[in-house]
Amino acid sequence: MKTIEKLSENILDKLSIDFLRSQVLKNAYGNNDTRIAAMDPRMLLVWYLFFGLVPWFVHSVPFLIGCFLLVAVTTWMARVAGLVLFLFAVGVFSQTGYLFLVTLLFGGDASAVVPLLTLTLKVATVSLASVTIFSGLDPDKLANGLMWYGCPERLSFSISYAYRMLPLLMEEFQNVLLSYRLRGNPPAHDTFGGKIRYLVYQVQIVMHAFYPLMLNTAKRSRTTVEVLEIKGYRYAAVNKEVKKIKLSALRLTNDDLLFAAVSFLWVAVAILIATLV
Amino acid sequence: MNVVEIEHLTYAYPGADSPTLRDVSLTIEQGDFLAVVGNNGCGKSTLCKTLNGLIPQFITGDYRGRVSVCGLDAAAADVGALAQKVGYVYQDFENQIVRPTVLDDASYACLNYAQPDYLERGRQALAQCGLQGREDDFIWQLSGGQTHLLALAGVLSLQPEVIILDEPIAQLDPQHADRIYAVLRRLNEEYGKTIIVIEHHTEYIADFCKHVLLLKDGRVQWKLPAGDALQRVDELQSCNIFPPQVTIAADRLRKAGEYHADRLPATVEEGCAVFAPRARVAPDAQAQPAPRGAEVLRFRDVSVSYRSVKGEPHRVFQNLDLSIHKGDKVALIGSNGAGKSTLMKLMVCLLKPSQGEIYLNGRSLRGARPEGLSREVSMVYQNPEDMFIRDSIEADIAYAMKVRGLPDADARTQALLERFRLAGLRSRDGRLLSGGQMRRASLAIGIALDPGILLLDEPTANLDIATRKEIMHTLEDMKQVTETVMIATHDMQLVCEWAERIIVLCGGHVVADGPRDAIFRDRRLLETVGIRPPEIFAMGRALEPGAACYTIDDFVRRFTGRAPGAGVQEAAV
Repeated sequence: MKTIEKLSENILDKLSIDFLRSQVLKNAYGNNDTRIAAMDPRMLLVWYLFFGLVPWFVHSVPFLIGCFLLVAVTTWMARVAGLVLFLFAVGVFSQTGYLFLVTLLFGGDASAVVPLLTLTLKVATVSLASVTIFSGLDPDKLANGLMWYGCPERLSFSISYAYRMLPLLMEEFQNVLLSYRLRGNPPAHDTFGGKIRYLVYQVQIVMHAFYPLMLNTAKRSRTTVEVLEIKGYRYAAVNKEVKKIKLSALRLTNDDLLFAAVSFLWVAVAILIATLV
Repeated sequence: MNVVEIEHLTYAYPGADSPTLRDVSLTIEQGDFLAVVGNNGCGKSTLCKTLNGLIPQFITGDYRGRVSVCGLDAAAADVGALAQKVGYVYQDFENQIVRPTVLDDASYACLNYAQPDYLERGRQALAQCGLQGREDDFIWQLSGGQTHLLALAGVLSLQPEVIILDEPIAQLDPQHADRIYAVLRRLNEEYGKTIIVIEHHTEYIADFCKHVLLLKDGRVQWKLPAGDALQRVDELQSCNIFPPQVTIAADRLRKAGEYHADRLPATVEEGCAVFAPRARVAPDAQAQPAPRGAEVLRFRDVSVSYRSVKGEPHRVFQNLDLSIHKGDKVALIGSNGAGKSTLMKLMVCLLKPSQGEIYLNGRSLRGARPEGLSREVSMVYQNPEDMFIRDSIEADIAYAMKVRGLPDADARTQALLERFRLAGLRSRDGRLLSGGQMRRASLAIGIALDPGILLLDEPTANLDIATRKEIMHTLEDMKQVTETVMIATHDMQLVCEWAERIIVLCGGHVVADGPRDAIFRDRRLLETVGIRPPEIFAMGRALEPGAACYTIDDFVRRFTGRAPGAGVQEAAV
């Protein structure tokens, strides 16, 4: 009940769109000077392929702990925004943590920990690896990396365009939401029932606010589409030369090799320990 | 040499009943700086879009005639080839920027056309636009004026011979507007580019442009040298183009038989030679300072800071003290980023001060919510589109009243629709209205609950001058309806004609607060804060240091035309 009360009070105030916006911006643009951000996206994508897939198929706890520690370090290196980490924690808990509580509640004991720990470690490792890549790399680099592996140009353009539009969209969304707040008449929320109604009302507003946002965006995009035409977007999409120029900026450095080597060594040691135990 | 040759061009948009352009024939010489003027909807933008092939290659329609640009046939040549000859900067230039960082956006077109030295070209274009040093910034770190320069750089990177700009300074404060035009002049004079601007600000036309093209109902009326064009005061005004205030004042004197020079002045410098003070001046009707009403809003020791993406929070206000009284008609002025919008957001509780108290009608706003204040304070945003949350303006105006279950909601909605001349548009979506209609609708929404205090953020920004006059008229009309009004604005004509009290913000402090005489006569203040009074005020000042003419009427009352061949002595009354 306390939580509901808190949530009802907070949803538009403390967890304001302004806060969300600053966190998203921080995440997208605020950490382009970290070690992770400076690395070659192609190498990181391969790295991610390993840490995003392999943990699912391995059941050895020492190996998983090893992987988890490594991605925890890379997440720290990528200086990921607080909100993302919070969502990560909530996500992991909602996946497995509650199972442990339920087990305890129904008379289970600590022996339930080990199987649950395996699952939790898998989920956590994969999530943190994703967080490192998708939040540590600047979206443009990520897009270039994907393009190098043959993803269509349209996908990579969409990624960087989405990030370019993000601040604008969030600001606009915030303004539309404010219109609802300034002119709306929320239900009284002194009683418990009122608080629930208030919570529902707020969620409704957030959903309603998407409609004007869509229309405003549609209006904007008219110019953007014409501009893309003039700036030769369609021309570039079919021109191999352009792709080559774009990707020529990608370069493997010693840092990348070092990072790959350290990761490899670490995993090797983890496997060794896993076989010894 | 002509860079543009148009012969008998007639064009109608797909599905339109009548053509937008009718039998247009026109040549533009290389190196020209041409202003295209005309009424709303007279085909200015359409004409410009035929030059880079967007019409008819991208927007089809009924197209007859021939357009040739730098020797290319605009209807048949590759859009890419044309883009390297003609650049286009849109009126909504923010939407023209498609990449996240500055250099990336500036070099994007060159990259797409497979020019291996694309980064170098981008850098060069940024330097031409005075944006060197900002290469690695994110585009949302730029101010409005810088964003416009970036849009220009993105176009310039292909080094086109012709650059078209659609209302380049509509959204900018005067400092930024000057900068844009200085860049355009440099491009024109140093780099030999042909510049075409669609422009309503005749002061800038007088200062910068070489020729003026008047379009009316899709036809070319004339193309004349700028100086001659601005002489045609009546013809321009009939097309809703307002010549510089100095020119209008001279024209008015000429009609009264008091102006004797051959030509009307277009700039303050020219005005100095042709105007003279009247011998006897009818004393100004001294506006009696109205007795101050009760205090409705009070800021006590308020500090505010914003989170920023990197580094320290950005501090907007520090220890701000301010009172607003009932009946005040306040203009809030100051450069971009001085905190005007922040101050308004504090008043409607959308932002909380990190320190200090704000009192509304004697009650502290600490812990209050915006929803609870809507009947006391109302705010109209700078961007009216964000206020349209229903699918028709009628529903939008009624929304706040309906959700409160006010019994006379329907009747009041009708009254507001009538009052703001929106009755015929009631079922339209607000977004699809014209600029002026949108603005009127947003004002109607703002006063729907009959708030005691109305806050307006830049109500005249982004409007052409005719629409702006109309909105100023509406604001004047609203003075009787709403007791206390505060307008945040860059528009000094609006400030001079409308405001009774002016608050100047600078660096998070109130640096001046008083009636217009106290603000505009303080030369040092104007310089430090970067306020530019209306041209007519500057004209008065140039003729007589003590003069304070806020409107053309004030000016004509005080000055007259200089007698032919005479010094500064006479004036018939």
